[in-house]
Amino acid sequence: MGEQTSHSAEPLIELIVNRVVEDSNTDTRIIVLTRNNGEAETFMVWVGSAEGESIRRALDTAVTPRPMSHDLIKSFGEHFGIKTERIVLTDVKSSTYYATVYLENKGVARTIDARPSDAIALALRCHAPIYVTQDVWRRRSGQNLDAWLTKLETKNIGTQEV
Amino acid sequence: MITQMQVKGLMFDPYNNAYIVILRDENQAEMLPIWVGKSEAGSISLALENVAPPRPMTHDFMKSYLDAFNAKVISVVITDLNENTYFAKVHLTYEDSEYAVDSRPSDAIALALRSQAPIFASESVIRKQSSEELEQWLENLKPEDFGKLDS
Repeated sequence: MGEQTSHSAEPLIELIVNRVVEDSNTDTRIIVLTRNNGEAETFMVWVGSAEGESIRRALDTAVTPRPMSHDLIKSFGEHFGIKTERIVLTDVKSSTYYATVYLENKGVARTIDARPSDAIALALRCHAPIYVTQDVWRRRSGQNLDAWLTKLETKNIGTQEV
Repeated sequence: MITQMQVKGLMFDPYNNAYIVILRDENQAEMLPIWVGKSEAGSISLALENVAPPRPMTHDFMKSYLDAFNAKVISVVITDLNENTYFAKVHLTYEDSEYAVDSRPSDAIALALRSQAPIFASESVIRKQSSEELEQWLENLKPEDFGKLDS
């Protein structure tokens, strides 16, 4: 892969992780991302609880006594000099998002397929930008979910895990 | 001294609401239980059963990350036990150098199984692990405590 950032000619949209919301009904986490242009529109990705907690820890820059799985991947990169350049949410099929992680080492570029949860967990630890294609952004779920999310977060207050 | 260990199985520990990876040496003389979290247990279970999930799980992603640059896992070693926390090292070769990277045993085992790399335990870890205590604990387990991994 060269410097091409997307399969389409449209520019990618940069996202930032806004917060991680716990959905206690299903033991999943919702990763809420926003555009970095200040607009309120959100992009939501449902992930497993372990992956969600890993993302939450990265957001909080929390340090665990032992390296967690994504810390280990980062550690491999640091040992070998591999840089995580960026991640891109590239596709959505049957409500499943697909991500590509762009890596570089000594001028050698590689891309790997990943779930968004792993890609985001690694990107946050490596301070790599997170992008979404225009197509995936347009097809995002969650445009009518903001009210539902607010309700879920209100419900969560006082019921956070101990 | 290090001893090569095989992953003998996974059990649910209802008392601690956690999972235990059972490692045994080739002579079946030593047993080393390692308590791991639910998602790590799930990942080890998928590797043991040779199941390829539709999307890469975290340790599959880890393996792809290493494969992308031809980094090879040579072995993993469970190195130490301190206040019920186990420590491990992942030994790799990358280009012409060798590396030993600090990790939790759960990640090391999940990665070793996906890389066909041997798993070792240091003698001190095996010695520290009181097998008497373990046997007592195992005796208290009921048959229904086994085979609950899919829950």
